[in-house]
Amino acid sequence: MSSLALAARLARRELRSGLSGFRIFFASLVLGVAVIAIVGSLADALLSGLADNGRILLGGDVAINLVHRPLTPAERAFVQSHGRISQVISMRAMAYAFHNGQAGARQLIELKGVDPAYPLYGSVGLAPELSLASALACGGNEFARGGAETQRAHTDGALARERAQEFHGSSPVAVFPSAPPRLRVPGVGPTCGAVVEQTLLDRLHLARGGLLRIGKQNFRVAAVLTDEPDRLSGGFSLGPHVIISTAALARTGLITIGSLIDYSTRLRLPAGGSIAAFRRDANARFPNAGWQIRDRDHAAPGTDRFIRQIGVFLTLVGLTALAIGGVGAGQAVRAFVDRKREAIATLKALGANGSLVFLIFFMQVMAIAALASVIGVGTGAAIAFLVVQLYGAELPLPAHLAVFPAPLSLAFAFGMLSAAAFSIPPLARAREIAPAGLFRDLVAPTRRRGRLPYRAAAALAGLLVLALALAVSPSLVFSLWFIACAIGGVVALSLAAAGLRLVLRRLPPLARPAPRLALANMTRPGSATEAVVVALGLGLSLLAAVTILDRTISAEVNGSLPGTAPSFYFIDIQPADAHAFDRTIARFASARDYRRTPMIRGRIVALNGVPAARAKVARDARWALNGDRGITYAAQEPANTQITVGRWWPAKYRGPTLVSLDADLARGMELKLGDTITLNVLGRNIEGRIANLRDVDFSTGRQNFVMILSPGIIDKAPHSFLATVRTAPRDEEPMYRAITDRFPSVTTVRVKDVIAELDTLLEKLALGVRAASLVTILAGLLVLAGAISAGLRTRLYDSTVMKVIGATRLQILRVYALEYAIVGAVTGALALGAGAATATLVSHRVFDLPPVIDWRAVGLIIGGGVTLTLVMGLAITWTALAARPAKQLRNL
Amino acid sequence: MPPPAIILDDVHLTLSGGAGPVNVLRGISLSVAAGESVALLGPSGSGKSSLLMIAAGLETATSGRVNLAGTDITNLGEDALARLRRDRVGIVFQSFHLIATMTALENVALPLELAGDGRAFARARETLDAVGLLPRDAHYPGQLSGGEQQRVALARAMVADPCVLFADEPTGNLDAGTGALVADLLFALAARAGTTLFLVTHEETLARRCARVLRLKDGTIAGDARATAA
Repeated sequence: MSSLALAARLARRELRSGLSGFRIFFASLVLGVAVIAIVGSLADALLSGLADNGRILLGGDVAINLVHRPLTPAERAFVQSHGRISQVISMRAMAYAFHNGQAGARQLIELKGVDPAYPLYGSVGLAPELSLASALACGGNEFARGGAETQRAHTDGALARERAQEFHGSSPVAVFPSAPPRLRVPGVGPTCGAVVEQTLLDRLHLARGGLLRIGKQNFRVAAVLTDEPDRLSGGFSLGPHVIISTAALARTGLITIGSLIDYSTRLRLPAGGSIAAFRRDANARFPNAGWQIRDRDHAAPGTDRFIRQIGVFLTLVGLTALAIGGVGAGQAVRAFVDRKREAIATLKALGANGSLVFLIFFMQVMAIAALASVIGVGTGAAIAFLVVQLYGAELPLPAHLAVFPAPLSLAFAFGMLSAAAFSIPPLARAREIAPAGLFRDLVAPTRRRGRLPYRAAAALAGLLVLALALAVSPSLVFSLWFIACAIGGVVALSLAAAGLRLVLRRLPPLARPAPRLALANMTRPGSATEAVVVALGLGLSLLAAVTILDRTISAEVNGSLPGTAPSFYFIDIQPADAHAFDRTIARFASARDYRRTPMIRGRIVALNGVPAARAKVARDARWALNGDRGITYAAQEPANTQITVGRWWPAKYRGPTLVSLDADLARGMELKLGDTITLNVLGRNIEGRIANLRDVDFSTGRQNFVMILSPGIIDKAPHSFLATVRTAPRDEEPMYRAITDRFPSVTTVRVKDVIAELDTLLEKLALGVRAASLVTILAGLLVLAGAISAGLRTRLYDSTVMKVIGATRLQILRVYALEYAIVGAVTGALALGAGAATATLVSHRVFDLPPVIDWRAVGLIIGGGVTLTLVMGLAITWTALAARPAKQLRNL
Repeated sequence: MPPPAIILDDVHLTLSGGAGPVNVLRGISLSVAAGESVALLGPSGSGKSSLLMIAAGLETATSGRVNLAGTDITNLGEDALARLRRDRVGIVFQSFHLIATMTALENVALPLELAGDGRAFARARETLDAVGLLPRDAHYPGQLSGGEQQRVALARAMVADPCVLFADEPTGNLDAGTGALVADLLFALAARAGTTLFLVTHEETLARRCARVLRLKDGTIAGDARATAA
């Protein structure tokens, strides 16, 4: 203890010299810690916002979701017995702007029908401020009777009743009307109110108060939808959101057989009501309902997962910045030890042992690290707080305005552990400095490396950083890959830098003095080359990998589809319309690959009789069990089918249901020929035996189903058709108008619009990721600045001597510029190599795509490397150039 | 009769230090004839090195005029001064000041390379041979002894056949034997090339080898003696 106190006392005295020499160490730590603190605080602000607003985002304490059908009266009565309920019906549809009784511009929309109880929690934001009830009201008082209207709509239609009864046997769970609307039939009856997102008004060139047609119902835009409280619990939006009443939805005529409609019944539990008890009772009472029950604690699982994953990625970026800064920190500590050699030797000569020497200097370094980490944490917390304070209202998620101790403590721990990991090795070498050195000219260490316990302590600190990073990561595999790539990058860049030095040293002397001097500067002991290559190289590698991946994905989305993908997807084609639809398409001579397929949604509930929740399923196949999947049936093997195992069933087969399954999914679910899959379709369980496995390639953009069933039972289920067609660009608009004019109930998805939406989304994401990777480049620049500053004295010497023997400033500038340009270009090239290798690995393993190298990116990375090194290098060495020789000669 | 190699006319140098301005040189006027060898003697702090730096164009005088090798350098810019030094001047320092990352040969060739001389290495080799170090031409400064480093520095100063050779305590960091060897070389090379020698030293014996000895005291010339022929 006394040696600790003594070390602390001596360390305090040593600290009188201030932070000089530790600026880069300090700045690197502040930067890395601040980034981690910002990311952690923002993620916690959003996650706690999500958790606290779960019931608002979900629309209730519990949401019971079904595809294709609403709750049966019995199910509804059961749910209602637990509290207050609200029903929300969501679907995709087409909206037509109506001017003077004529349909004009049209747009795919996300349509939501709500009952008067909506929303059970939170409130809908409208501009101007109206009550939702008055905004959605129809000419009469229909909105108030919405529930009954909808129920009546479902009970209309004899054909639907027959089909449904055939499918369900004696106990139908849902029935549907049969007549789809026709746009050419003018809208009749009172106009209803609709609230729409501003985007829809912009796209349809409408203003508030304008008329819309959805299905066969006219709507007046009563207000602009500015806040939809439960929006996040929905999925990916293909179009602007529109809210109407369920009564008005019933009048659109869009609720038809087999239409892709999501029915969500939200339940508001009374105080003290138990979600778990409700879940248990609901599943016990209706085991075959095929519903998905979500609760307020998992209101927006996708968003929650996204925030956590982005949080992990950004934290890892922050850690990379810390690691890059660590290279600079290590250098700073080495330089510090060099400056203190004489002091250390004196201390030892006076009787201090190695451990005391280590402690004195370790305490100093860690005191500086603690100060930097505290400043980093404070800066991070303040920035995150300000972001939420200033931009919280504009965020798409509710964010909590608070200081979050957990992520701040984590950031502090990361800072201290990284500082320890990088500073222990040089300090361990310092403890070996021999006092005898004082009596010789050279005060040299007797060992090249520190003793084993110190090396082990440094390794332990490094491992703790990694363990902490993995412990807080929700995605262990991603984090492991990232860390492996970062470590691999550091090792590869270090080896490359060492190799470069070796090669340059062995080069025959160059004839011209400027390049010779430049190369000599790069290879001399203590040159900045290695630090620059590793530190700046790592940041540039990350940027290169992100840019190449962005280009690869973007090329896949934009480039690979047009050749093979359809121009349109048509959803919800009603059986009664099917032939008329076929004829309309056939009118277009350029129509190719037209395919119309039955489309039913169903959920996998068991594999070989084992409930899906308990079945052993690989991670990459689990998606197939999350929610409803599109299913089709076919008597004959569809064109372009590639069966890998088994055979297709005979054309007239009518026996027990057989399944043709995606081979990859079968592998992930450990299923083979003869095994069974149980599907819940419209509340009825259908067990099918696997007859064959197929290769399914979704990247072609063509229609693909992971499950195709043999006809017999499934074809009795009420269903609609999905159609795809490829057409010449000149026919796209005429075909779009022809189909949307004639079949307003058919949802028409233009593939190029979706690609454009997706591309915009990807572009935003890529921009964000690129911006994040700039943090690592900033860390690299700090190290670069440190490394060049460390060599400034040598450069001052060289430039003074050169001036004395007659070199002009331009000649010296040329030497330095050449040196920095070579180091920058080599760093850029190495970073490009490392980034391309990482991107290739990720694109093959994660996206299953060949990487696309963007030559602009190549230019950007190498050009960036050259420019950054050149500018930073010359800015710092300008002092050497500007110095008057006489003044320097006095100090040399 | 050739013009003087160095003319200083009422040169003053005032340096600002932490304790206020210091008058290092106070009205120095002197003229050094071409081919003459001049020693500048004086105690530490008398301004010897400052005077050398002003004469060599490494320092700008606070006032007064300086003419070097026929060029008025009083108001010359830094790069013009560098070019003048490259073409007409050689300098040897007490601390050698070689570039650590260059071999002995490269150090010697550098002034010629800077001047764009295509025979830089051939001439450098000849000069290195003249100082007896050709066998060590591929060695870096760190691999040479102090005396060898100073011989390389001397070769570098003489390689471009300068009009004036400035030497600032050239033997100050060397032992007596090595110092004598370097001094012999210095005088021999300067004499052979007819180069004006301006030598700053505090060693009387070394100074006495010059044709003229200037004594500096408190920034002024306290004595100017020409040696009588031996």
